Amino acid sequence: MLANRVPRILLGLAAASSAVLTALLATAAPVQELGIGLPRDVSVDGHRIDWLIKITGAFTAILFVIMCVWMALAVVKHNKDHKAEYDHGNAKHQVKFAAALSAIIFFVVDGNLWVNSTIDVSSAFWNFDMVEQQADTLRIEINAHQWAWDFRYGGPDGKFNTQDDIVGMHELRVPVDTPILVHLASTDVIHNFYLPNFRIKQDAMPGMVNKMWFQSKETGEFDIACSQHCGTNHYKMKATLIVMSKEDYAKWAAESSAIASRAYAADDSAAHWGWEWQSK
Amino acid sequence: MSTIATLRPHQREEQTASVGMVVFLASWAMMFAGLFFSYGFVRSRAGAWPPPGIPVLPIALPALNTAVMLGSSLIFSLGLRELRRGNVRAFQRALSVTIVLGLVFLALQIYVWQSVSQAGLHLNTGLYGSVFYCLTAFHALHVAVGLVILMVVLARSLLGKYSEHNTISVRLCTMFWHFVDVVWILMFVTIYLM
Amino acid sequence: MELQAIHKEPTSFLKRYVFSEDHKYIAKQFLWAGLLFLAFGGILAMAIRWQWAYPGQEVPAVGKLLLPRSGGVITPAAYQSIFTMHGLIMIFFAITPILIGAFGNYTIPLMIGARDMAFPKLNMLSFWFFVVSQVMVLASFGVQLGTAGAGWTTYPPLSTNVGTPGHGQTLVVAAVFVTGVATIMGSVNYVTTVIRFRAPGMTYMRMPLTVWGLWLTAILNVLFVPVLGSAALLLLMDRMMGTQFFIAGAAGGKGDPILFQHLFWIFGHPEVYILILPAWGIVSDMVCFFGRKPAYWYKGSVYAMCAVTILSAVVYGHHMFLTGMNPLLGQGFMLLTLIISVPAEVLFLNWLHTIWKGSIRTTVPMLFALGMIFVFGLGGLTGVFLGTISTDLYLHDTMFVVGHFHFTMAAASFLASFAGIYFWFPKMFGKQMNQTLGKWHFWGSTIFITLVFGGQMIAGYAGQQRRLFDPYQYTFLKHLHPLNTYTSYAGFALGLFQLIFIYNFVASILSGKKAEKNPWQVSTLEWSLPSPPEYHNFDVVPTVIRGPHEYANPDAIKLLGRDWLSQTEILPEAGAVAESEVTAGAAE
Repeated sequence: MLANRVPRILLGLAAASSAVLTALLATAAPVQELGIGLPRDVSVDGHRIDWLIKITGAFTAILFVIMCVWMALAVVKHNKDHKAEYDHGNAKHQVKFAAALSAIIFFVVDGNLWVNSTIDVSSAFWNFDMVEQQADTLRIEINAHQWAWDFRYGGPDGKFNTQDDIVGMHELRVPVDTPILVHLASTDVIHNFYLPNFRIKQDAMPGMVNKMWFQSKETGEFDIACSQHCGTNHYKMKATLIVMSKEDYAKWAAESSAIASRAYAADDSAAHWGWEWQSK
Repeated sequence: MSTIATLRPHQREEQTASVGMVVFLASWAMMFAGLFFSYGFVRSRAGAWPPPGIPVLPIALPALNTAVMLGSSLIFSLGLRELRRGNVRAFQRALSVTIVLGLVFLALQIYVWQSVSQAGLHLNTGLYGSVFYCLTAFHALHVAVGLVILMVVLARSLLGKYSEHNTISVRLCTMFWHFVDVVWILMFVTIYLM
Repeated sequence: MELQAIHKEPTSFLKRYVFSEDHKYIAKQFLWAGLLFLAFGGILAMAIRWQWAYPGQEVPAVGKLLLPRSGGVITPAAYQSIFTMHGLIMIFFAITPILIGAFGNYTIPLMIGARDMAFPKLNMLSFWFFVVSQVMVLASFGVQLGTAGAGWTTYPPLSTNVGTPGHGQTLVVAAVFVTGVATIMGSVNYVTTVIRFRAPGMTYMRMPLTVWGLWLTAILNVLFVPVLGSAALLLLMDRMMGTQFFIAGAAGGKGDPILFQHLFWIFGHPEVYILILPAWGIVSDMVCFFGRKPAYWYKGSVYAMCAVTILSAVVYGHHMFLTGMNPLLGQGFMLLTLIISVPAEVLFLNWLHTIWKGSIRTTVPMLFALGMIFVFGLGGLTGVFLGTISTDLYLHDTMFVVGHFHFTMAAASFLASFAGIYFWFPKMFGKQMNQTLGKWHFWGSTIFITLVFGGQMIAGYAGQQRRLFDPYQYTFLKHLHPLNTYTSYAGFALGLFQLIFIYNFVASILSGKKAEKNPWQVSTLEWSLPSPPEYHNFDVVPTVIRGPHEYANPDAIKLLGRDWLSQTEILPEAGAVAESEVTAGAAE
């Protein structure tokens, strides 16, 4: 009977139009003035996260809109003047339908998340073996402490805590199109090294060394932030990532390492906070 | 539904109290589980265990303590059985022995702490010391509180409060005591034997 | 099963009004205590929103009074205490006493046909232990170095005496321990009472879903609050006795901060289900009561709540994805976390099917229940982004997380609490609340709650981290000032709308219209009693012959002329007398 089909048609229309709308919204460019939108992504792998967030956003938005339309229709159409149906909903076909619908939603939305996350994490974000083996990988040790980031480069000898190490604060300079492999530690409380324009972050734990890697496709200056409450000045624990061209970086590194070598003081133990790099 | 003839007096209240006690003990067990989890976690992430420089723990006295606890639990159970049969004097004797054994346990535990402390293991001797003292002290605290309760029960029994018609409180105490005993056995196995 | 005798009401002032052992009175004590701290926690939230809208500016009206040393301006040190205590107060000292302390105490015995809880003295003690913990929280604000400031999650080493020295943090950790003891005492009562004191015929599968939610919550409380207790104990030992469980790094210890996170989240994840299960239960019943339809697939809802209860313990690692855990372990937690969304889907489908083709009465409790479904839908759906490792890489510790848990934990529990308050108010106080004011309260609360927490999610999506005193220090967050300001306005509006409730609640208690026995025309056992019930609840313990959601039954409509059947009434043959209650079998 058409009368029974009408609400379903309406629901279908609502679902379809909301799907189109959501897809449009999800792929739309960020509206900076309203605060809506992801930060600019300059990383090689960040797009994987962006895609997964947006498509899941589309799925969940569709489900949410359907739910809202369903509720609104029920409240309006099946109001107190409507005769309620005496239905306990535990007939076999009803149970099967509910179970099946839940399963479908689960496998589509959650399944998509699980598969893509597993692939992305194992082949890219946490694929440290791959990055360790690449010839041009730049290794950096980062020491987090209240309330600043210390950076250490191995220098030309490739070993940490030696005379030619470049040590800096506030600015982390790296070359473009190069894998940057970071080992993170903390000397006091838990911090978290966060690169919004690369979509990644990792805890800096006292007593252990955590790993993170990234690669920039563009030169420029980007924010480094702390993403774990670490005391009163947590909000100021920031630094700047400066991505330079390979030539500019090489020049800077050579100069800085030379300056560091000349300024090296063997008995300044506090300055030698680095540790031996563990590849595994 | 049971008929009155097959139920002991106040059996329904005793069943309810027992259910409550089981739930309460489940809670307590989870608190100890948190502590045991911590022990296992710390130990699995440590290299050598015990760490170098830490004195070796004795085994003989803690093993004796295990026997003491087991014995006390057994005797207490027998005491409850006597009470249920109406033999109040026998129950009081058993309860007294249980209390004495509990005191023996505490005395031996204090002795073990003293000897280990003299050998150099203190509360802040690294994680090992922290975990050892925390676990054993927390358990000993439960034994001590249990003993206070048992002494109150003994006093009340001497005043004539408990009989085959009034066994609920005693039953709850036996449950608590058995719980403390089981926790000790687990602690003995993990800390001293493994 | 045990039947309780009719016990006489005590006569002394202390035993009636202070140390009452009557579950109904204790429920009201918890309700007042919880509402008071809900207001306190809400004011702290307003302070956070003020800081983000007007960073560095003097807080109006109360600023100079509360923050004298800084001239009424929120300092970074004050700010971290504000957000820490906001979280702790809302979770442990507001939602818990209202949803679990008040509604658990009030509804469980009444809805299962019991005369009181299993252990009335223990019940009384649980309230007073709770009060002690509230006093400890208040005391911590007066301590010299200030109250706790390490976030509600209290992660060491920041929460050790090296990271946060002073007695304030210690007092607060101890307060959490004490409130945990109170919770366990209460939960022992709830679990035992449901097992032992269901009226004859009240099988588990005939219990209202409110009771199911509260009972499962109590089981989770019994099992997992003690784990928090162990974490708190170890932290207190580190702070006060020189142990080194969690102190690492430069402080010299070889402790492990990650141990705390494991212990905390083994409690913490079940805790969020503890806070939502009563809300799910209440809403599940409300959609039947006011949809005038049976619960759609009642058993499915029960199974779903049980499944969530069981799974809640094994998903906790999703809070720790970025601690450097073994990726395989992370995979496992991710899979389980995604799976736990399935029972919630089932619940939602059941709710939606229940109201479809119903005869919906948009009473105030029903509006709040529908509002809860709306906000929990939003919040729950955003959970999957956080339970997935790759998306969590970006979203971890951002305002997206904050928005997610505010929608699910705060908004949903908040709206469900009000559904419960407006619903049971006539039974509790014998008066009616003003329904028009209730509707204003509903619309204002739901709209502005959605705007505030929606604003949080948008900020998080843009990358704003949690717990920032001044987000605009960062280049990538400078443009969020307008968004945060508008969100703050929504927050202030939300706060203002609660004044309507406060007025309505107090005025109705004092001079509201007298309530009938069953103003909502609902079938559960408490509505067969006078409003408010006698001290001993039931003169005659009822015999239950059906479930709690018999609405729209055609026989009832034909024979009795109404669309509902109580749980005890025998449906007459055509032409016979309408109602009769079978007296219970002789108590032993």
